[in-house]
Amino acid sequence: MAEKRITVRATRFDPAKDKAPRLQSYDIPFADESMVVLDALNHIKAHVDGSLSYRWSCRMGICGSCGMMINGIPKLTCNAFLRDYWPRSITVEPLNNFPIVRDLVIDMEDFMHKLKSIKPWIIRKQEYPLGAGEHRQTMDQIDEFRQFSECINCMLCYAACPVYGLNNEFLGPAATALARRYDLDSRDQGIKERLPVLANSEGVWECSFVGECSVVCPKGVDPAKAIQQTKLDTTMRFVLPYGNREE
Amino acid sequence: MDFESYDVLVVGGGLAGIRAAIAAVDANPRLKVGMVSKVYPMRSHTVSAEGGAAAVLRPEDSYETHAFDTIKGSDYLADQDVVEAFVREAPVEIIQMEHWGCPWSRDEDGKISVRPFGGMTTWRTCFAADKSGFHMLHTVFQTSLQFSQIHRHDEAFATKLLIEDSRCVGVVAIDMRSGRLEAITAKTVIIATGGLGRIYAFTTNGNICTGDGMALAYRAGVGLKDMEMVQFHPTGLPFTGILITEAVRGEGGYLLNKDGERFLKRYVPNKMELGPRDIISRAMVTEFEEGRGFDGPHGKYMHLDVRHLGEAVIDRKLPFMRELGREFVGIDIVKDPIPVRPVQHYMMGGVDADISGATPIAGLYAAGECANVGLNGGNRLGSNSLSECLVFGAAAGRAAAEYASSAGPVSTNPVDALLADETNHIESSYLDKRGGDERIGTIREEMQHDMDAGAGVFRTRDGLEGLTRRLASLRDRFERIKIEDSSRTFNTELTAALELDFMLEMAETIAFSALAREESRGAHARRDFPERDDDKYLNHTVAHRTDGAAPRLEYRNVRITNFKPQARTY
Amino acid sequence: MKALGGAEAADSTHPPPRVYKPEMPRGWWLRQRHYFLYIIREFTALPMALWLLWLLYEIQRASNGPKGYYPPSSPAFIVFSIIVLAFALYHTYTFLSLAGVIIHIKGVPSRLIVLSQFAAWLVASAVIAAVLIGFAR
Repeated sequence: MAEKRITVRATRFDPAKDKAPRLQSYDIPFADESMVVLDALNHIKAHVDGSLSYRWSCRMGICGSCGMMINGIPKLTCNAFLRDYWPRSITVEPLNNFPIVRDLVIDMEDFMHKLKSIKPWIIRKQEYPLGAGEHRQTMDQIDEFRQFSECINCMLCYAACPVYGLNNEFLGPAATALARRYDLDSRDQGIKERLPVLANSEGVWECSFVGECSVVCPKGVDPAKAIQQTKLDTTMRFVLPYGNREE
Repeated sequence: MDFESYDVLVVGGGLAGIRAAIAAVDANPRLKVGMVSKVYPMRSHTVSAEGGAAAVLRPEDSYETHAFDTIKGSDYLADQDVVEAFVREAPVEIIQMEHWGCPWSRDEDGKISVRPFGGMTTWRTCFAADKSGFHMLHTVFQTSLQFSQIHRHDEAFATKLLIEDSRCVGVVAIDMRSGRLEAITAKTVIIATGGLGRIYAFTTNGNICTGDGMALAYRAGVGLKDMEMVQFHPTGLPFTGILITEAVRGEGGYLLNKDGERFLKRYVPNKMELGPRDIISRAMVTEFEEGRGFDGPHGKYMHLDVRHLGEAVIDRKLPFMRELGREFVGIDIVKDPIPVRPVQHYMMGGVDADISGATPIAGLYAAGECANVGLNGGNRLGSNSLSECLVFGAAAGRAAAEYASSAGPVSTNPVDALLADETNHIESSYLDKRGGDERIGTIREEMQHDMDAGAGVFRTRDGLEGLTRRLASLRDRFERIKIEDSSRTFNTELTAALELDFMLEMAETIAFSALAREESRGAHARRDFPERDDDKYLNHTVAHRTDGAAPRLEYRNVRITNFKPQARTY
Repeated sequence: MKALGGAEAADSTHPPPRVYKPEMPRGWWLRQRHYFLYIIREFTALPMALWLLWLLYEIQRASNGPKGYYPPSSPAFIVFSIIVLAFALYHTYTFLSLAGVIIHIKGVPSRLIVLSQFAAWLVASAVIAAVLIGFAR
């Protein structure tokens, strides 16, 4: 029997040479049923074309590096199995809605700034001294924010969000989910410091609830929920007489 | 030429590196701290750690037992003063992480929960479900964003340490986006670049674990300590090498051979599944050799069975394991046993550093997996490494801050020349190189398979000698590599070539160190010398770079305080 | 001192290298079911606004009393009104479904919250309908 093969088309773009990205086609052996799209890219880089550039590291769905568009859907390439596509071909492109640095590598500096802007750290009115030991926190209290703490910053949600695609100023799904992660943490007292960023004109009110961010999240985070909850929160604080009280 | 200049420059953005950067700022808020990382810090391989971080937090626990467990686990190759200092600092660091927001799993009363772990005589491993490393890394990274003194160079690949009058004054790094080589000077440099699992074919380590920092220090003249001590974790998924956490056994999972037998009763009868990693990995390979393993398309394997724990416990304590099983193997661990086999996981060896992370070169420090401060000896106990990153990352940060606070400025003159030299080297050896015929990927794969075969769970003189010969020939072939990518923008073929260059050199230090240690201790198991030999080898191997093929090996006594070496049985 | 690494850090003295900024293709909203539903929802705001403006106009006309007020009854208008009603129902559905996402009551599954919202909506609609029909008599 002839060797099983699969066609992978990958975006190529070198800013020094190319005006615009183009697709390059590679026909590679589909040697093992366990192969994922990332394995296909690694095969290309190791044995066919060493100049193909992309990011990857842990290949177990936790480092968040290897997000790409696979046949138009944002996915982690490390757990997208070739067997789910074969005998069809696979088109691998850089994540939508981001500037392309090179080949499959996107520019995610924008997110790094947004992440910092929502102050993703524990804010306390009064520092709790180390000598006092740990804060007490129950598993129920952890469950309040747990899912939002599972964000791996893979950027699939931004690639799926047309609001972000149309307006890059939008704070976006992951950054809002991470703000919510701290707002809901029983140890944190910084919600009022985060609200100005969340509630400003490029914050949560830009979201008109497409919902695709939560669909593509590989970690079961529901950023759409974080955004809608934040909308309710900001409204309540505005409307209720004691909405802005100190807690 | 222009370049950034810092008081403290951290190379590596994982748990140890970020902890060091924050500690430096804490020690002296006026310091300017730089961080060079070849990936965005939250991609660092800390993210893949699963089981937890060990610390004495319970009244029924004691520093002495944590120290003893660690020293016995190390097969008496740990420096005992270092271990004793470590166990005292670890609880402080765990509480610090809690204050920074780490979502540690909790007990009923709201206190940080602990779980049992291999080689530990009591429950002392703190955990955030089974994504401890992920949560710790994101916590410490996000916390670091509040410090305006910490200035990051993300996706910058360090190629060389700047050494001037036997003092380290910075690094040369390639900015991946522009392709430009930059000199980043600093009064002190902390190397925290992690491990080197990628020199093996079958490893839990991510693509970025290529021993860069170890190689940088080695080339700058620092010795590498105990490089023969390579840890193989008993439970990796076949084919991918994805780690199945030791916490699976900590929570009560069974290791079964193909006869459905808990075979560890023949090897570690008192500890069973909670034995140390080196012994369990050897037990599994022995069972395979005696025909009691399962045969699969990707080699022999055992079953790791958690079905008896029930869905509720699995979802509470091991949700990521269930996810990994479902997504990468197509099984539900609630209903199916997990196929596992031993896999390269961790490097006990590393940059020769003292208890504060200081190396023999002034101004140069090391912390985390890339360093060997003498904590782990011949075999690291599971859950000691995340604590190690915190304790010794913080120690190195404080020590560097102190040195930088009093050290004189870095003169720019020699730096210009050093940068020009390195730029010239990178261009002539790689970017402008013409006519090579060897693929990087081919050489890398051959190295990885040679390392698996020659420096794996069990070693022999013949195997190691063959390995050194093959590595030498791969080094020759590396001179003829072909670089297809001429772009300056995000040239990952260039960085892959530089990484391979580092890895080949590190592989040689492992092979030569292992060849010279004619005994079996910890993770270093010689079939031709199956016994531990305290008369001859109760000492550290320190490999120094030479102009020739083989490193120069020297030996340094292990520091023993309160725990006299005894037979290591579990 | 700079606040954050990254772009500023990597190239404080050199312009960053060129990147390619892709634009969203015209047909982007046809590529995913969610995008399509979202664009439809956004689009429906327009006819609904028109219908409501017209309603205000009618109310103003009716303010002079029943004498001389003839409600529009052309088939085209009725069809338009039915379409707008469908749009309004779509918005209602989206809004009430969101309740399950936003409202968080311990121990109550979000599906139950959504169902109770829909139930409350049906009851409210029935009450209003009864009142209107009662007045019409």
